[in-house]
Amino acid sequence: MKKRTTAFALAATFLFMAAPGHAQLMKKLKDKVADATNKVINNKIDPNSDSQGNTTNTSSQPGNTSSGKPVNKGGAGLKNTPPPDVLQQMNDAETANKASNYTDARYSLQQALMGVELQLGRKVLLSLPATVNNLPKDSTQDLVSSSQWGWSNLTMQRVYKDGKDKQLTVTIGNNALYMGFVNMYFNNSMVQADASQQNVKHVKVKGNKSLIQYDDSKGYTLITPIGQTSMIVWECINFSDENEVMRAAENFDIDGIKKTLGEQ
Amino acid sequence: MKKLFIYFFTIAITFTAKAQTDFSGYLATAKTSYTSGKLEDAHFALQQAMQEIDMVVGKEVLKILPQKLNALNLNPKEDHVMANTSFIGATISRSYGADTSGAKIEIINNSPMITYLNSILNMPVLGGLMRDENNKTLKVQGYKARLEKQPNANNEKATYILNIPLNTALVTFTVKSSTEPEVMNYINGIPLQQIAKLVN
Repeated sequence: MKKRTTAFALAATFLFMAAPGHAQLMKKLKDKVADATNKVINNKIDPNSDSQGNTTNTSSQPGNTSSGKPVNKGGAGLKNTPPPDVLQQMNDAETANKASNYTDARYSLQQALMGVELQLGRKVLLSLPATVNNLPKDSTQDLVSSSQWGWSNLTMQRVYKDGKDKQLTVTIGNNALYMGFVNMYFNNSMVQADASQQNVKHVKVKGNKSLIQYDDSKGYTLITPIGQTSMIVWECINFSDENEVMRAAENFDIDGIKKTLGEQ
Repeated sequence: MKKLFIYFFTIAITFTAKAQTDFSGYLATAKTSYTSGKLEDAHFALQQAMQEIDMVVGKEVLKILPQKLNALNLNPKEDHVMANTSFIGATISRSYGADTSGAKIEIINNSPMITYLNSILNMPVLGGLMRDENNKTLKVQGYKARLEKQPNANNEKATYILNIPLNTALVTFTVKSSTEPEVMNYINGIPLQQIAKLVN
């Protein structure tokens, strides 16, 4: 097969080289190929066009894609589900347990825990200041999420911004993203001793041991661990210096947050 | 014999009654704390109630596990149920036979290994990549499972580890100094479907 292809290629090359008007022939051939290719491409782009490239409007239906699948034009979306009714879930758990239906009892307890966590999260958000360093809160971005029982997945978030380029995002709860970083700096003396690059340093926010970090692409990040697994993280974009970050953090009632979450 | 039976029966009734009392007590504390606005206290009491349920479920699972696996006798002192407070759920374990040639079953609810195992079991490409002479995917009582063989240099028998995901729980069955047909024979004596109903 390989030999036949090579022989064919050699013969074609010889023929073209031998012909006196091979340049014209090549040009004609090239034009023909270009014509044919354009037609094929046009047909693929618009299957309704005829051989002259004119488009016909026979089968085009509004709201359908080329594959015939309808396009969604809108809907009411999902309703915001209220948090689980904690007392009802506790009663359900009790009934299921009495009937030795442990799977349902466990499920109801999980729902009750989730309900309590969401309420706790909202309580914490309510306790946060409305304005920080002249940055008003953007309550549309308030977030409380609890995906599983235990503090491990309860997260609260509040955003403060001036509508231009300055923003402070405060996140309270378990933050896996920063947990490794915090453990590294608080528990590893080797890393603490290496202070040649001052991108990270230890500070205290209202008497709580904290870390402040600066990164040109992210701005300032201030992290205060509270209790065993939770932490407060302030992410400050376009803040002038670390003093401004510290002043912003001091607006928050850290002891109050700890108390609400039951952390020591 | 009759006296012994009455003795064990009384212990069982006492345990069940205590578990019910603890559960009801924690739930009552949770309700009181919640209605008086002490959310953190309610949260803690609910977690305790959850642990109590996990303990009861664990004991129920132990009840349905067989007393013997063919010739391997149960080691009652090694029956173990542990309720966790973190995202890993209850851990239940039981062993049969001698330490060097026996079998051990361990059930962990919400095990972090579940995602990894499911990806191997459900993605043929990944399952194929992870397959060698000591690892294979098979079905046990209709559940997909992964069998790992750890060869023993001294004899033909090996240690086998069979991992069976049951929705959110992971059943790990380990048999030392055994053969594959023997392991499959043992596991068929474990009521997986009933365990799945209890732990999920």
